[in-house]
Amino acid sequence: MKKSTENNNKKSFLKEGFKSDISKHHKDYLGTGIPEDYFAKSKISILDKIKEEARVEEEQPKKQLVFYMRPQFKYIAAASLVFILSLTVWLQNFDTKEDFNNLKIESLAFEDDILIESLLVDDNDLDAFTDTTLFNEIVVKAELKEQKLDNLILNSLIVEDSLLDNYINEELIETVIL
Amino acid sequence: MSKDTELVKKLQNPALKDSAFSELLDVYQERLYWHIRKIVHTHENADDVLQNTFIRIYKSIANFQEKSSLHTWMYRIAYNESIRFLEKNNKKSYNNIDEVSESNLEVLFEDEYFDGDEIQKKLNIIIDGFKEKQKQIFQMKYFDDLSFRQISEILNVSESTLKSTYYTCVKIIEKKILM
Repeated sequence: MKKSTENNNKKSFLKEGFKSDISKHHKDYLGTGIPEDYFAKSKISILDKIKEEARVEEEQPKKQLVFYMRPQFKYIAAASLVFILSLTVWLQNFDTKEDFNNLKIESLAFEDDILIESLLVDDNDLDAFTDTTLFNEIVVKAELKEQKLDNLILNSLIVEDSLLDNYINEELIETVIL
Repeated sequence: MSKDTELVKKLQNPALKDSAFSELLDVYQERLYWHIRKIVHTHENADDVLQNTFIRIYKSIANFQEKSSLHTWMYRIAYNESIRFLEKNNKKSYNNIDEVSESNLEVLFEDEYFDGDEIQKKLNIIIDGFKEKQKQIFQMKYFDDLSFRQISEILNVSESTLKSTYYTCVKIIEKKILM
């Protein structure tokens, strides 16, 4: 290299390839060197390290991988799970609304049936039903209520009289005797 | 069957793996060392990365499917290990060699295994100033003595592009060195 720079400028600085010692080539052109017998020592060192690593791996209990998934698939799986959950929730709400609408339609249809049927009921049947309902609902309940009222008045009278008697007796004793 | 294919078959056979790996070291250790050294600059760093590279090769060889040549595959591992090493050391992430700071050249000049003169320093600086692809192409061709076909496989660049890039680099170096 020095020759080429020192001798003449026309001569190429870089040689066209080389077939000799690669380390010497680097030393000559880049000034980079290596310790003596480096590659022989390095080979032994690499082989020793590999043996050591193999021994360490053998000693370590093998991890039992129950479930493994690549990171990119993990995101896809998580997104799918969220989508399925959202879909389930949405479908549940959708079904409830459907049921409610069905129920409303059914009850309206039922009410219509009653109305139509009520038009076809005989007048005598209607009178009999009214009498029975009046007797049960109004007369019987009214009698019961009247009885309860009587009892209440009677009780209150008895209680009040006895309290009054007691009071008078006590007052008389106090004023007359004392 | 090429020598490399034969070597791969042995490396993938558990019974022959260790002896084949010793053979692999004989053939590729020096080449890979210099490939790594030009990226990480100092001998100490290159030694560390070389060990990591061969350990990775040893562990991954069973999965090597020969989609590329063994040579190409190992060069890529060495390159990736070098970049990983620089990232770890500098606590920064790099996309390529271009992003590795120039201060690494200072480290090279201070390395105990560097004893270059002014011209050698100048050549290092010129090469370091090349763009990543230019640098790789020039170094692989000129210093690692790879053929254009091999470089084409490693870098996935056409041979004609490689040739023109290489000769451009040579001209730049000659011009700057002889200035």
